[in-house]
Amino acid sequence: MDENKSYWNPIFAGVILGIALFVSFMIAGQGMGASGAFARMTAELSYLYDSAIATNGYAGKYLKNGANALSNWTVIEVFGIFLGGYISAAFAGRIKQSIDKGEDYSSVKRLFWAFVGGVIIAVATRFARGCTSGQALDGAATFSVGAWIFMLAAFGSGFIFANFFKAQWKGVK
Amino acid sequence: METLYPLFTTGAIDNNMNFFYAIFIGMLFGFILERAGFGSSKHIAPVFFFRNLRVSQVMVSAILTCATLLTTAVYMGVLDFNQIFIPTTYIWPYLVGGALFGLGMIMSGWCPGTAVVGFATGKLDAAVFLLGVMFGMSVYFDNFDSLANFANSSNVGRLTIDKLVGGDIYTALIITIFIGIGLSVFMNVMKSIRDKKGEE
Repeated sequence: MDENKSYWNPIFAGVILGIALFVSFMIAGQGMGASGAFARMTAELSYLYDSAIATNGYAGKYLKNGANALSNWTVIEVFGIFLGGYISAAFAGRIKQSIDKGEDYSSVKRLFWAFVGGVIIAVATRFARGCTSGQALDGAATFSVGAWIFMLAAFGSGFIFANFFKAQWKGVK
Repeated sequence: METLYPLFTTGAIDNNMNFFYAIFIGMLFGFILERAGFGSSKHIAPVFFFRNLRVSQVMVSAILTCATLLTTAVYMGVLDFNQIFIPTTYIWPYLVGGALFGLGMIMSGWCPGTAVVGFATGKLDAAVFLLGVMFGMSVYFDNFDSLANFANSSNVGRLTIDKLVGGDIYTALIITIFIGIGLSVFMNVMKSIRDKKGEE
């Protein structure tokens, strides 16, 4: 059976996502985010290892006056993303350990690029004050000009660099 | 009548209640992302080859739906739009950050939100990606002193479409709808060109 069949139609999924995003703005006054939570988790972990991070020019603002960097709306919401994703996949029978990649591509190389891509994305989100959710989706839905600048730069760059990653995504539809 | 929404910023609910709702909003987000297919990088990377437009279709329809609902709430007088958090626009950092983000996305097949869903459903590539993100964050922290000048450059404030071109929230909504339609047409044209050419 084609596993794609049990996924939602993308337009339908988008409309539901837009309604959920609206609910988020109506309750919290902010949209959904993701990258900020990882900045905070990193800051808190670094703090447990060495409290010197509290004086860091960037991470210090998360730890001001002995604050716990994890006591934050987006961190809690990201924990919710994990739960919601798990519940959806569990009901659809899609919990499975795997490495997703193109046919014939080496798993080691795939994980290497996943890691490097993660490092680059972390820096990118600090420059851009957010990612696909906190910057692109939330910003565009609230008419921010910056969100479109970010999105056009991200997709433009993705289309160009895609030429270098053909092998990794060979045959992936 | 006083505007009631957003509930948290108007003081209708307190911080604890706001945090309590955060978990459900996140669960909704995670559930929808998984149902949309974004628990696998195989449904994300193809958009950059115009093979499958799932990513852009979900994003554009979500943006247009939310923007329309927010505008409706403002029209009805129940939402104070000035209390909505909109990030400050920093032109150059957003351009460079966006370009790096696109590179990272095609390289890894993930973005931070979808990777949380991928991680929750057992994708090893998502777990490794998230380790990379945390490593990258600490690299950023450690080098912040030399990056701060650039990161905080070309600050144009809380710039919305209506402020840029003149007009009000309705102008902004109409322009957003046009951008959304324009992007959809562009993506579909690119896909049909690719479909005709076939995969090399």
